[in-house]
Amino acid sequence: MFEFSVNMPKDSVLVDVKTTNKRGFTPEEIAKDCVDKIMTVSNNAHPAIREQANAFKNSMENVIVDHMKQAISSDRTTVYNALIDAGHPKLAELIRRL
Amino acid sequence: MAFTGNFMCTSFKKELLEAKHDFTAAGDLFLIALYTNSATFDASTTTAVFGGGNNEVADSGSYYSGGPTVANVLSNNNLTNAAPSSSGTTGFSSFTTKTFTSATITARGALIYNSQAEGGTTDTNTVCVLDFGADKTSTSGDFQIVFPANNASDALIRIA
Repeated sequence: MFEFSVNMPKDSVLVDVKTTNKRGFTPEEIAKDCVDKIMTVSNNAHPAIREQANAFKNSMENVIVDHMKQAISSDRTTVYNALIDAGHPKLAELIRRL
Repeated sequence: MAFTGNFMCTSFKKELLEAKHDFTAAGDLFLIALYTNSATFDASTTTAVFGGGNNEVADSGSYYSGGPTVANVLSNNNLTNAAPSSSGTTGFSSFTTKTFTSATITARGALIYNSQAEGGTTDTNTVCVLDFGADKTSTSGDFQIVFPANNASDALIRIA
């Protein structure tokens, strides 16, 4: 006989729900989630290794934040030009100034 | 009536043995529906139900209510399958983070269901019940559901 277990803990919160109020998530908030997905550092790791790993994690987070900001800025340029082409210069300027 | 915890639906366990659920990247289309705390679901929930009468939250931003017969639900409430994998003696699978944007939503929990479990495109076979632990509210903002890491000890769906 083989017995498989396909269950989930009833009383733990399994998914992390994050919400915002009249804004989207910032690059910093998203980057933190991103590095948490990419890398976990064990509490049981040797202190020196843990410190090095956390330093790398922080560095990675900063790189991701920087590139996300560049992506947002670049996308705004694309949106700005799409709005200009569609004959909405005021709206385009509003987007550019965000 | 209220959410009383997380449950892997018993019907889902049976349907796994009937090969009705494909979690691969190109596999079945799994959807998520959000509910207020007036909803009552547990392991015996076999099919997802929809609409305000069933305590599903209303359309807002990129979230659509009404179930898989609504085209916008298929294209907006869909989850992205994380590829099934294994480690040690455990097989596992999960989904990537789901964000509903520009939404005003208050939800206490969710159902994940498979819209293609019976070979159609509007099936409602449940996979699991998720309890958020408390009401979660977004106001003209993002409502984001972060699933646990896809590994043998944390993944949402694990077969050990």
